[in-house]
Amino acid sequence: MPEEKTVIELEGINKTFPAVKALDNVSLSVKSGEVRGLVGENGAGKSTLIKIITGAYTKDSGTMIFEGNEITRNSPLISKALGIYAVYQDVMVTPDLSVAENFFLGQQPKIGPFINWKKMYKESREFLENIGLDIDVRKSIKELSIAESEMITISKALWQKPRLVIFDEPTAVLTRNETKILFQIIDELKNQGTAVIYISHNLEEVFDICDTVTVLKDGATVGTYTTQELENVEKLIPLMVGRSIEEMYSKKDTEPGKELLRVENLSGERFENISFHVRAGEVVGFFGLVGAGRTEIARALFGADFLKEGKISVEGKDVSIKTPKDALMKGIGYLPEDRRKQGIFLQQDIDFNINIINFDKVMAGPIINYGKAHSQARDYIDKLSIKIGSIFQPVSELSGGNQQKVIIARWLCKNTDVLIFDEPTVGIDVGTKSEIYKLFGEILSSNKGIILISSYLPELMGMSDRIYVISNGRMAGEVDKKDFSEEFLLTLAMKNIVSREKVKEAV
Amino acid sequence: MAGRRERKTFTEKNLLIILVVMWVFLAIATGGNFSSWANITNLIRQSSINGVVAIGMTLIIITGGIDLSVGSIVGLSGMVFAIFTSTRGEFQFPTIVGILLALGISALIGLINAVAVHDGKVPAFIATLGMMTLVRGVVMYISGGRMVTAVPLEYRRFAVLEFLGIPALAWSWIILAAFMMLVLKYTKFGRNLYAIGSNEEAARLSGINIRLNMYSFYIVAALFSGIAGLMLGTRMAAGVPTGGSGYELDAIASVVIGGASLSGGVGTVLGTALGALIIQTIRNGGNLLGVDPFIMQMVIGAIIILAVFFDQFVKNRRKGEGRKRLFKRA
Ligand SMILES: Nc1ncnc2c1ncn2[C@@H]1O[C@H](COP(=O)(O)OP(=O)(O)OP(=O)(O)O)[C@@H](O)[C@H]1O
Ligand SMILES: [Mg+2]
Repeated sequence: MPEEKTVIELEGINKTFPAVKALDNVSLSVKSGEVRGLVGENGAGKSTLIKIITGAYTKDSGTMIFEGNEITRNSPLISKALGIYAVYQDVMVTPDLSVAENFFLGQQPKIGPFINWKKMYKESREFLENIGLDIDVRKSIKELSIAESEMITISKALWQKPRLVIFDEPTAVLTRNETKILFQIIDELKNQGTAVIYISHNLEEVFDICDTVTVLKDGATVGTYTTQELENVEKLIPLMVGRSIEEMYSKKDTEPGKELLRVENLSGERFENISFHVRAGEVVGFFGLVGAGRTEIARALFGADFLKEGKISVEGKDVSIKTPKDALMKGIGYLPEDRRKQGIFLQQDIDFNINIINFDKVMAGPIINYGKAHSQARDYIDKLSIKIGSIFQPVSELSGGNQQKVIIARWLCKNTDVLIFDEPTVGIDVGTKSEIYKLFGEILSSNKGIILISSYLPELMGMSDRIYVISNGRMAGEVDKKDFSEEFLLTLAMKNIVSREKVKEAV
Repeated sequence: MAGRRERKTFTEKNLLIILVVMWVFLAIATGGNFSSWANITNLIRQSSINGVVAIGMTLIIITGGIDLSVGSIVGLSGMVFAIFTSTRGEFQFPTIVGILLALGISALIGLINAVAVHDGKVPAFIATLGMMTLVRGVVMYISGGRMVTAVPLEYRRFAVLEFLGIPALAWSWIILAAFMMLVLKYTKFGRNLYAIGSNEEAARLSGINIRLNMYSFYIVAALFSGIAGLMLGTRMAAGVPTGGSGYELDAIASVVIGGASLSGGVGTVLGTALGALIIQTIRNGGNLLGVDPFIMQMVIGAIIILAVFFDQFVKNRRKGEGRKRLFKRA
C-alpha cells in the first residue's frame, strides 16, 4: 500500500444556482488509494460538487487543495493537467473519432508529421484486452452501444494515470460483466495510489467497492463514515433520506382482474414468437440479460419499431398498432429506457416536459387550460418529490435523477391502461424508488396493468406478480411468484445462449 | 417555489430594452424626426411584410430547419394574384378568388418543401434552396419577367387604408403575430412544434404524429409568405417578378435576433417581431441620420452575429459550461 497522503481537500464549498442552493458549506477530503463513496438523494448536490472539482462549475466560496497546493483558478483543462479525471453522469465522448483516437486524443504518436495509426491501434487494443474488454478500436464511438462507450470513458481513467478519478453513476448503463470490469479498474487504481470518488444510487455497490462514504443531503454534508462502521445498507438509508424505509417493495398480492392486453407470436428484428398477456391489477415483469430483446419487444408493441408479425389484442379486441400514437389511443404507454435521448425535451421547461402528453386532460376546446395543466404537473412533482426551483425552469437545470423523475411523472400522469416501464428506477434515489413502487399500487388499484422491464432482480422479484424471461430474443419461460428465485431466473435467462463466451459477456 | 416565470421571456425583455434604447437615442439624435407619429407608423408598416414572413420562418427554425424559399413564395403569391385578377388579363377573377388561388399555391409549395424535408430526408437548407430557385423561375416564366398591373382597386387601396391611425398593413402583421403567439402557446399544435424541434424521437414516442405536424408547419410557413406576397402586391399595386427577393435573409435575421436557436426547439413569435422591428429601426434611423446605406448594411450584418453571440454567451454563463456549444450543430 502506497503512503496515504491526502490528494484532495475541499473546505467550506458553497454554490448557489438561481433557483437553489446546491452546495452548502461542503467539506471533503480523500486520501491516496482511498475509494470514497458519495451518496445522497437526487439533487443533493453530488454532480455539482464533482463539477466544481473538475472546474466545469466555479464555486461561490470555499477552498480546494489538491496535493498540497491551493487551487484558486480552475477549469476543465487545468484540472485535467493536474491529474483529475472524471466520468460524468451524462457521458460525452467525441462521437466521430475512433476508439483508438479517443485514447490518444491530443497526443497521437507520430512518424514525422504523420500519425502512426498502427501504433495507436496496437497499443489501445492491447490495453483493452488487458482489462478484459473486447471492443474494436477502429470503430468510431458512435457505432458503439451506450454501455461500450461508457466503458471506453471508464477505461481511459486507467490509461491516463491520473491522481484522482471521479465516477458519477457509472453503472447505470452497464451489464454485470462490465460492472465487474469497472470494479477491477477501481481496484487497480487503488493499488496505484489513485484517489477515487464513486457516486452511485446502487448502495449495495457502494458497500462492495468503497472504503468510506460521504453522505450529502440538500447540499450539506451529513457525515463521512467507513463502510465497516455502517455495516449495511439499512444503516445508510436513514442518513440519506432522513427516515428508514420499512418496506421497499410494497406490492400487495391482489387477485388479477380481466385481461387487458394479449400478445401472440410477436416477431420483429431481434425477437420472435413472443406471447404474453397482462391482466388488470397485475405487475408483469420482464427479465433477461442486457441485449435479450426486452426493450425491442416493448418498443415494437408500442408501435415505435417495425413489427414483422404478431397479433395484439386489447381487452379482447384485435388491434393494429403502427405508431406510438395508435398505442396511446389503445391505452398502452411506454416509458423509454434511454430517457435522455428518447424522453427528455431538454430546452423546454419542467411543466412542458410533464404535460406534453397530458394536455388532453386539460383542454378547453382547442385551448390549453394552463391553470389545470400546471396543477396536474405540480401534483406529480410532489408525489415523486422532484426537486425543482419552479415548474418554469428548463428541465436541463435539474439533476440527472430529477430529469428522470420528470419523465416518469409524465407517464404516471398519463395513466394508460397498460403502462410499460423500461428500467424505471435507474439513477433514482432509494427514497423515491419506494415512492414509485407505492404509486404502482395506486395504478393497479384503479384496474390498470403494468409491464416492468428491469435488470435489477430484487426490484423485479419484489414487484412482479409474474415474470416472463426473455433469452436471446425468444421466450424462455413464464415464472409465477411462488417460484421466483435469482438462480432460476438467471438460468432461464441464459437458456438460449449457446456459447459459453456469450454467457460470460452477457451476465 | 420561487416564481421565476420571467426566465422564459428573458430574451424578449432584453430585446425590448434594446429597442427602447435605440428609439430614445434616435429620437434625440434626429431632433424628434424619428419619433414623429408619421415616422413610427411608417416604420411599423415597413417592418410588416418582413414581419409576416418571419412569423412563418420562426416555425421552421423552431423545428430545427430553415426555409430559404419564403422570398420566392412572396413573389409567386403576388404574381399569381395579379395574373388572375388583372383587369387587363385573361382571367379577371374577383379579388377573393385571386387571394384563395395565391394562398392555395403558396400552401402547395409549403407541402412540397415538407415532403422533401420530412419524407425525402433532404436537409431543409438544400430542399428550400432548390425551391427558392425553382419558384423564382416559375414567377419569371408566368410573368414573362414583366410587371403585371391593373390589379383590382380594393386590393390597391388596402395599402393606404388606416385604422386608428395605424396602416392596415401594420395591423395585418400585428394581428397575425398576436394570433400565432397564442397558437404556439395555447394549442397542441404549438406545443408539438416545440416538442418536435427539441427532440424528434421523444416527440414520436409521446404519440405525436411527426409527418402531419411537419407538413402543417411548412404549409403554415408558406401561407405566411403567401400573405406577405399579397401585402407586398397591394403596396406595389402590381405583381412584381422580383418581388420578395432576398426576403428570406431579413426573415432569418429577425428570427435569430429574436432569440431562436438554429438547432431547434427555441424561439418565439414575439422575439421575432422585436427582431424585425430592430432591423427596420436601424434602416429607418440610419436613413434619417443620413448614414451611408452600405454602412447600414454592414451594421445589420454585425448585429446578427452579435445577437447570436450574445445569446450563446449568456446561456453558457448561466449553465457554467464552456464555450464549445457555440460551434456544436447537429
Ligand atoms: N446548471 C444548473 N442550473 C441551475 N440549477 C442547477 C444546475 N445544475 C444543478 N442544479 C441544481 O442543483 C441541485 C444539485 O444538483 P446535482 O446535479 O448536483 O444533484 P445530484 O446529487 O447529482 O443528483 P442526481 O442523483 O439526481 O444526479 C439540484 O437542485 C439542481 O436542480
Ligand atoms: Mg448527479
